[in-house]
Parts: sequence; C-alpha cells; structure tokens
Amino acid sequence: MNKRYKATLAALATTALISIGSGAALAQQYDIDIWFVGGDSDSYRGEAIEIAADFLQREAAVRGEDLSINVVTKSFSGWEEMKQGVTLAAEAGAAPAIVAAGHEDIAPWAQSGLIVPIEDYIDVDAWPVNDIYPNLLEIASFDGQLYGLPQDAESRPFFFWKDYMREIGYSDADIDGLPDLIQSGGYTLQDVLADAKKIQDAGLVAEGYGFYPRVSNGPDYWQFYTSFGGTIENDEGKLVFDKEAMTGFYQFFVDAVELGVTRKNHLGTPWDQWYAEVANGKAGLWHGGTWHYARYTGKEGQDDFFGNIQFSLIPAGNAGGQPNTLTHPVVYLLTQQENDDAIAIAADLVKIASEPRINALHAIKSAHLGITKAESSVDLYAGDRWAREATERLLPFATAMPNNVNFGQYWEIMFGGLEASWTGQKTVAAAIADVETELATTLGDDIVIR
Amino acid sequence: MGNSNAEIAASGRVSAPDLRGGAPQLTRLQKIGNSRHLGLYLMAPAFLFVVLFFVAPVLLTGVFGFTNMSTATGISGGAYLANQSSMRALRDKHDFGELADQINRVVFTIDEAGLEAAAQAGASAATLKELNAKFFGQSFGKRRDVERAIKTLDNRPSSTRAIKAISKHFERSVFNIRFDSADDLLAALNKFGISLDPQQQAAVIDVTYTGWVFTTDNFKRMISLPDTRTTLYNTLFYVFTTLILFNVGFALVLAISTHYMDAAPAGFFRSVWLLPRITPPVLYVLMWKWLAWDTGFISAVLGPFGIAPKNWMLDSPTNAWTFIILINGMVGASMGMLIFASAIKAIPTSLFYASEVDGATRAQQIRHIILPQLRFPILFITSYQTLSLLTSFEFILLATEGGPGGSTEVWALSTYFKALNNYAGSLEYGYGAALALVLVVVGVAMSILYLKLFDFKTLTAPPKIE
Repeated sequence: MNKRYKATLAALATTALISIGSGAALAQQYDIDIWFVGGDSDSYRGEAIEIAADFLQREAAVRGEDLSINVVTKSFSGWEEMKQGVTLAAEAGAAPAIVAAGHEDIAPWAQSGLIVPIEDYIDVDAWPVNDIYPNLLEIASFDGQLYGLPQDAESRPFFFWKDYMREIGYSDADIDGLPDLIQSGGYTLQDVLADAKKIQDAGLVAEGYGFYPRVSNGPDYWQFYTSFGGTIENDEGKLVFDKEAMTGFYQFFVDAVELGVTRKNHLGTPWDQWYAEVANGKAGLWHGGTWHYARYTGKEGQDDFFGNIQFSLIPAGNAGGQPNTLTHPVVYLLTQQENDDAIAIAADLVKIASEPRINALHAIKSAHLGITKAESSVDLYAGDRWAREATERLLPFATAMPNNVNFGQYWEIMFGGLEASWTGQKTVAAAIADVETELATTLGDDIVIR
Repeated sequence: MGNSNAEIAASGRVSAPDLRGGAPQLTRLQKIGNSRHLGLYLMAPAFLFVVLFFVAPVLLTGVFGFTNMSTATGISGGAYLANQSSMRALRDKHDFGELADQINRVVFTIDEAGLEAAAQAGASAATLKELNAKFFGQSFGKRRDVERAIKTLDNRPSSTRAIKAISKHFERSVFNIRFDSADDLLAALNKFGISLDPQQQAAVIDVTYTGWVFTTDNFKRMISLPDTRTTLYNTLFYVFTTLILFNVGFALVLAISTHYMDAAPAGFFRSVWLLPRITPPVLYVLMWKWLAWDTGFISAVLGPFGIAPKNWMLDSPTNAWTFIILINGMVGASMGMLIFASAIKAIPTSLFYASEVDGATRAQQIRHIILPQLRFPILFITSYQTLSLLTSFEFILLATEGGPGGSTEVWALSTYFKALNNYAGSLEYGYGAALALVLVVVGVAMSILYLKLFDFKTLTAPPKIE
C-alpha cells in the first residue's frame, strides 16, 4: 500500500515536472497486446512479456527516458480460434502487437505482410538471441529472414507403460535399453503393434487400448510419415508428397485398428479422458509431447512418472525409415503495426522475454524444453529431471515442419486422408489416390509428388 | 380534418395553441399516419440491416468465390516481394533461372549515395565519416554483416535502432523488400542495374505479387475433388432425412396428436418438445455427448450386460448420422409443431363436428380436413427448414466435427473449415466463398422449386374457409 502510495506520488510528480518543464521528454506510452494459446501451465507465454515490460521500463528509466508499457495478455484455448482471430484482426487493422504462434504460420503470414521480421528491430548478435539454439532460430526464419524468436521448444516422445512391458516378457534392462534400441532402428512400429497386441491379449488393458495415439490432428502425425522415410520439403524448399511413405504411415494406423489395438473411433476422444487414461496405466503404448509430463504428474496425479513410464523417439516404420521426433516451437511473432515504434518496443519485449531465467519459468511450469544454451545452467531448469533427460534423449533427433506458404493446405489434406483410412471410410490405396488428386489440384507445381 | 391537414402542411408550421390542444395532436399523428413515405421510414432500418448483413455478404461471397484469397494473400491487397519462393517460381514457371539468381541476392554497399541518404536522415556525421573512412566501397551479403561493421566503429550509435536506421540506406538489392506497386519494384531493379525486357517484366510481376487474383480455379478444383461429391451426398442426406423424419414428419405427428388431446396435457407435451429449442446449443450437444462417450450413460448402462464401452456417437458413420439427425430433429420438430398446431386450431371446429356426424374416423379427418388445410404451413416449414438445414452446421460441429473420417461433413461445415477454421491455420477465403456460393445458388433454386411444387398462387388465393 505504502509502495503504491509512493509510486502514485512519484507518477504525479513526474507528470507535474513534465507538464511544467519546457523541453522535458514526453512520456512514451505503449499498449502491447500479446495473444497466445494455452491454459494455466502456459501462462508464462503472456507473463514473460509482462516481466519483460518491467525490465524495459527500468532500462529506459536508467537511460533517463520515461517509458510506460501496458501489456494486455489474451489466451485462447485452441489454435484454430487463435489463428482465425489473428488473421481476421489483422485484416481489420487490429492485430495484437505480439503473437505466440506455431512456426508454420510464419510463411503465410510473412507472405501476406501480417508479420514483420524481428531481425529488422533487434540485434541478433546480442544477448540473449546469440545464445538461442541455432536450429530453433532456423525454425523461426523464412526465406532467409529471422521473423520471430522461439518461445519454447519441445519434442514428441513415444511412451511405454513399464509394468505391462515387464508382463509381456521385457526385463528391466530391456526396458532401460529400449530408447537406444529404438534410436538404432532395432525396434520398429511393427514391434509396437506386436507388443500392443500382446499387452491386450494378456488382459492388461482393454480392447483398443494397446496403442493409444493422439486423439486429434496435430504435428505428431508427421512423425509417422518420417518414420516411413517421408520427406515433407526438399532442399529447394518445395513440398514433397512421398506416396510410399504416406502409404506406410496410413497403413500402420489401419493395421492397428484391424489388429484391434487401436479403436476405429479413437479420433475425437475427449482430451481430458485421454490424459486421465494414459497417465494412469489404462493404455499400453502411446505417443505424446514433452509437455504432457506436466499434465500427467500434475492434474492426473501420476506421482512416479519415471518408475512407471519409459519414453523414447518415435520408432522407425520399417527398415527404410528413421526413428525421429518432431519439435514444434511456438514463436513470438511481431505483427505489422501503423506505429513503427510500437513494433520496436514489442521486439525488445520479445528479446528480453527470451532471457534464460525468464524462459525457464515457462519451460519448467509447462514441461517444455529450453531455447537457450545458458538455460541449462539456470538452477530451476538444471534441477528438473524431465527437462534434462528429454532434452538429451530427444532434441538432437528432432525434425521440424517446414515454413512453407502451402504447408497448411498439405497438412489438412494429409490428415483428411489419414482420418478417412483410419475410420474405414476409404481403403489406404483410395485415400492415397484422393490425397494425390487433391494435392495436385490444390498445389499444382508447388508440390513434388513421387 | 383533411383540409386542416392540408393547411398545416401548406403553412409548414404548427401554431402554439394547436400543439397544446388534444385535437391538433391527433391531426399531426394522422398526418404522419397518412404519409406515403411512412412505410419507407419504418423499413429503412430493416433495409439497412438486410443490405449490410445479407446483400453485401452475398455479393462479397460472389466476388471472393472467384479469387484465390487466403491467409497467405491477405484480403486487403498485396505487395510485390522478391523472395526465395517467388524467385523459385521465376525459375520453374517462367524459366528465367539466370534472372532469378541475379535478383535472389542481398547486397549492401557502402557508397556515396548511401552515406548521403543516411546523413539526410539524421545519422551522426562522426559515425558516417568513420564508416566512409573504414568501409567505403565494401559490399556485404547480409544486413547483419553491415551492421556488424557499423558496430566496430568508435563512433557507433548507442542503440540497435539507430544502427538499423543507418544500415538500411546501403541496401543495393530488392530481395525481401515489399514494394507497394510493380512500378516501384521494376524501378528499384533498374536502379540496381537489373534491366528487364517486357517478357521478363511480366514474369517478375507475376511471381512477386503476394496478393489475390481473380480466377475460376476454385470451381475447377471443386469439381475435380473426390471429396466434393461425398460432401454433397452427405448434405443431401442430412437435409432431407432430418426434414422428412423430424422437421415436417414428426412435427406433424406432434401437432395432430396434441390436437386430439385435452388442452392441459396437450400444452404440457408441446412445452416438453420446446425444451431442446430453449436449451443453449453448446449445453444441449454436450448432454448428447455425455450420453454417447466411452464413459457416458449408454456405455454405463450396457456395461453390466458385457458390452464394452465405446464412443457410440463416433463408432461408425451410421451411429454418427443417427445422433446428428436426432440432435437436429429434436430441435427442428418443435418449430413445425407450433406452426402446424396453430394452423389446426384455425380450422373451424364445425368442420370436425360435421365430419363426426357423418361418421368420419380420425384418420379420415386427418386425411380430408387437417392435411389439406396444412398445405401452406407445410410449404413454409419445408422451404424454411431446407434453407436452414442447408446452412446450419453448428450441431454437427459441436457433436462430431464432421467425423468419423469426414463422414458427417456437410457442405456448410466443410466451407467453414476451409475458409475460417482449421488446425493448420490455412484459411482459404476464396475457395470457401466459392463453396458458400454453391449453397446460395442451391438455396435459391430450392426455394423456386418449392414454390412451383406447392403451387404458391393457389395457396395465396382467398381462403375458402370463412
């Protein structure tokens, strides 16, 4: 109260001085909106910008400038709603100054002029940008320009319920060695189906719970395309539709349904139900994201994560495929604003929010991975077993979706084909043929079909 | 009175005593009431709303449907941008590989023009003097390289923004710069020593334009896609099954059966059937989902009988359709019920008494008295609900999101996903508008068809019952 009183007095005094003194610097007032997706555990996507605003105001005060920043955070529960909101707000000239979006949005938004390159506003050689992992900066770039700064990193592991693996004959040493075996290609998605079947046949999980995948569209499904040797974009920056790899990927899920280890109507299962089930041993094998750790050990009450659950890369699909994982960093992007100074302020806020200590708050609270090398020296981050192990085991093998103007359309068409074959609406061959037709019609020369 | 009105109108003013008295006020009201323009005044707000919220969107849909508008092109217009993607297109589509390589590079040169421009923009003379002395004539392949050079100066600016304010004046290429017009881009290229022949100019303009263009490709794409047919069949199935079974069929059953009940139970049953309509749609569908989820009511009830729990709604397309038609039908039936019930009420009771005297059965009464009088309400409900069902997708979106596997994706939902809402954020306004345009055309065609089919002229003839 006392502080507030003093602050008010100080503010009044400053205002009085400014209004009295001729030639005194005018207070600069900025309203900066930050939009992001996430629940409670992701709150630092917005709060980091608020902390950064406090820093930036202090830095300005040290330089003798009067800077006042009002940060307004807005969170969305789904990506669809946020992307729709941002694009329509931008068309109406009311885009938020900062958006924490998926990196795949950079290409279309840059093309339409919705966002501006952050490298036009910040010194990329300066701290902390010069400490951000180069591959993450690459992911935040499009057409050779750095558009945003990564807000977090993650990867998407495969999970095993250890007890059930023991029950079907794996020793503790086997389970401990599983991540390495998968990394070397010695355990493939075909083994996943076999083990899921064994777990189910032993009556350890219910019918359709042997392999329990993600319940909705998401970047995760591209991992299975990669597992079967698929490439999403070639070196020239053109999208690639590899029919053989896509067939292997679709067929894997169809096989899982036919074997009975995955339910035909699995897609569309409520997320809350899915989280509760996988976190408590209702499923044998499944895949998810590093951030799931926060949900399993938090809301779902899994208090012995490392004792009960093993995690690894997504296994290779076949001999020609590769074990992999996908990182899908959220990036802070700056939208085009009428006032260039406001963009510069927003850029500074994003830069400061990327400080290791501030970013670690988000990384640990939401179980994401850090973005800077120095972050692993921050106690909060270094002391967290999950962050440490997941970073070592997964991140070096992580691929990312491409920043390509047409990728969003490819993605929707890919998932449409998967859904149709998984639910039995089409055979795999028919789904692949339809996907090919749709890609050829929609993207024409912008995609290589092979 | 008429004369008095005319006088007032002619004088153009009303005297003070007239305003105070009762009679003159009435006169004034009547004057407004008689005004030939009153109808127009009253209609003006409605007209405005119709134009704003119906005519304009339909016209815009018509225009947008013939464009390739999307998230990437934006709506409000484009710029001319030479970047890696457009230069790839220049190489692949127009076979100007060499030209693409020429444009596709970043050059920053410390030269006289740049120093002069930076000085005019207010850069420190000491900084520019030192830059001139140390780096004059040097070229850099990246902006960050020239900025690194500026940062080595003893007289370097103190802020990053000031450094960037200087560096931009030395850019000698068009790469990654947005130009508002094609002329500006061509002029800039020319300035940097890249002159183009007319064919090259046309190609560069074609590939660098980021905005939308008019095209008929949306319709070609629509026709060639196999899923378009599926969506069309889904839509026809959804509209007519719901319409026939519930919105008209079941509504008739409800209206007729309550007609033969006593007033109190009839009122009660009608109220019960209104409940789905007055329940908020999100909650209403959520209750259906609770009913059908793996952990929901149906699974819980069937569990003890050895039936494994499953998501009953998404288990198969048949299940999904059953739920969707029930969800829509329960709401849709109530409107028909109200309209039909009130129409039946309007039939003179003497007709029923007379028919009973003649020994008519209930079925005969329905066949020969009720249904003929319901022809117009049935036409109204059929046309209204057809249009309403054609464009409505909210219950499907909330219940199945078009699943399983797109099997319940109807035209309007597909349009919504394409144009306004999808996980990848790839919003195709142009293609979505083309899809929506088809709905508008089908809607208008259906309305005309219904009017012909039900013979609107005879329906609007003077009633035979008086």
